[in-house]
Amino acid sequence: MSVREATPNVAETRRMLKKGIVIAGVGETEQGILKDRGSFQLLAEVTKITLDDAGLSLSDVDGMVTAFSFVESTLMHSTTLADYLGMTPGYFASVAVGGATAPLMAVQAALAIDAGLAEVVLCVRGDNTRSGISSSGMIAMAREMSHGAYEAPYGLTTIGGYGLLAQRYMHEHNVPQEALAQVVATQSEHAALKWNAMLRDVVSVEDVLATRMIATPFHVADCSLVSDGAAAFLVTTADRAKSMKSKPVYITGIGEGYSHQYITEAKSVEGVRDGLGRAGRRAMEVAGITPEDLDVAEIYDSFSFTPLIALEGFGICGKGEAGDWILAGNGKLGSKLPVNTHGGLIRQAHLGAMHHIVEATLQLRGEADDSARGGGNHQVPGAKLAITNGSGGILAATSALVLSSEPPSA
Amino acid sequence: MSEQQTTKSEYKKPLPDMRPEGQHFWENTKQHKLLLPTGADGAPFWYPRAYAPGTLDPIGWVESKGEGTVYTYSVHYIGPSSAYKGEPPHVVALIDLDEGVRMMSNIVRDEEGYPSVAPEDVSIGMRVRVVFDDVTDEITLPKFVPVA
Repeated sequence: MSVREATPNVAETRRMLKKGIVIAGVGETEQGILKDRGSFQLLAEVTKITLDDAGLSLSDVDGMVTAFSFVESTLMHSTTLADYLGMTPGYFASVAVGGATAPLMAVQAALAIDAGLAEVVLCVRGDNTRSGISSSGMIAMAREMSHGAYEAPYGLTTIGGYGLLAQRYMHEHNVPQEALAQVVATQSEHAALKWNAMLRDVVSVEDVLATRMIATPFHVADCSLVSDGAAAFLVTTADRAKSMKSKPVYITGIGEGYSHQYITEAKSVEGVRDGLGRAGRRAMEVAGITPEDLDVAEIYDSFSFTPLIALEGFGICGKGEAGDWILAGNGKLGSKLPVNTHGGLIRQAHLGAMHHIVEATLQLRGEADDSARGGGNHQVPGAKLAITNGSGGILAATSALVLSSEPPSA
Repeated sequence: MSEQQTTKSEYKKPLPDMRPEGQHFWENTKQHKLLLPTGADGAPFWYPRAYAPGTLDPIGWVESKGEGTVYTYSVHYIGPSSAYKGEPPHVVALIDLDEGVRMMSNIVRDEEGYPSVAPEDVSIGMRVRVVFDDVTDEITLPKFVPVA
């Protein structure tokens, strides 16, 4: 198969970001089992929280980027939400690339702002996935990543699809099961400090290995959560943000990478690592930074294996070395590069990469201390540079952002 | 092959989505032949499409010898639907066929009804060969058994 590599123009991406594209407000609802709230209700709730964070009202928002819902079927998600909220945005779009959606929503907002289509863009995603989904919807979700003709008949699950890649990765690099469990253990320490994390208990490697096996190599505790909840971030220009309430955080790097859609089509572990890694490497190239410059990394963690291959693809760890890296205590709060300081999809909640972006923003604002609201202090002291990403499918499509407390210098 | 035929109403597990471009493949599995689609250069590719991926050339077909190597596998202790409840775990694997394509299937025992192999009996790099599981009157799924 011939592969047409995208040829991103780094200078042109930098030109756009040099205008000062910022995240000027963030919001998160409670996460977990929220039977009393429907999908659009959650989106409205988080919109209000996010507008309050920025000191804005609904009439200040002229752009709307949403995602999709597993519960509310609509082909026009962004405008359906606009109607529910009672607003008439000048720019509207819905993004649907699975777990890569959240960073791509930020990209969509930046492009709209750069093109003059909007100035204040609300990026919002939420759903009552846990409480509102029907059993047929659940089956559809479980089969979502399988090819309907050549994979689904073999009883593939999404967990097992990741399992296929993880088992080959562990085989090639001699990575022990304990390395995967350590990812969970590390993130559990962080989730214990996050006010709205679903799982607040700290677990050990042994605890993880003692949970039920779902699809090798993944135990229950290795898997991301299914949760109700919403999160949002507001994208605007640095100029416009001057009159807003919260400290703006700059988007200084954007990158995307793709290697396959169906797991059967993934050529090799290296092919997947390189495909998803391209997103992070490009984002850092645009930002003019190297992995050594990063203060915090909010890495998509659909399964315990997922951050390991991403850390390698981004060049933060050598190939096959992320397991040893995490087992040595790296990634924890207090280490050189804390990873998933909010607990991630495995311990906090699953809303694609929305929470990863919100957490990275809070870290760079110096506001990742939840002591006042029942959590604890998970602030990385003096954090100035963060990388965050989301991956859709079985590590098929990845989008990454570099966020900075300072304007782009590159 | 299984002597016992199962009707569609009894078989509750996922059946392949039928698309026009897949019809020739499934007609042949029913005849216990594993066909691979090929591009203009005659090289097989997977999975069947209406046009060769990457070139959009017209496709051809070649019969596979049905032998290959396990590239990776995952033992599924929970299946994608309630039809798997109460069953022993099933092994989903990616198999590198000797013709140079990789396909997904199950690793099963060469016995009546093709039950799953035990988890400890599968490994990466293991040699396997195709068997044909007539799961319904209409649909035959190619599956793979370990080569002794």
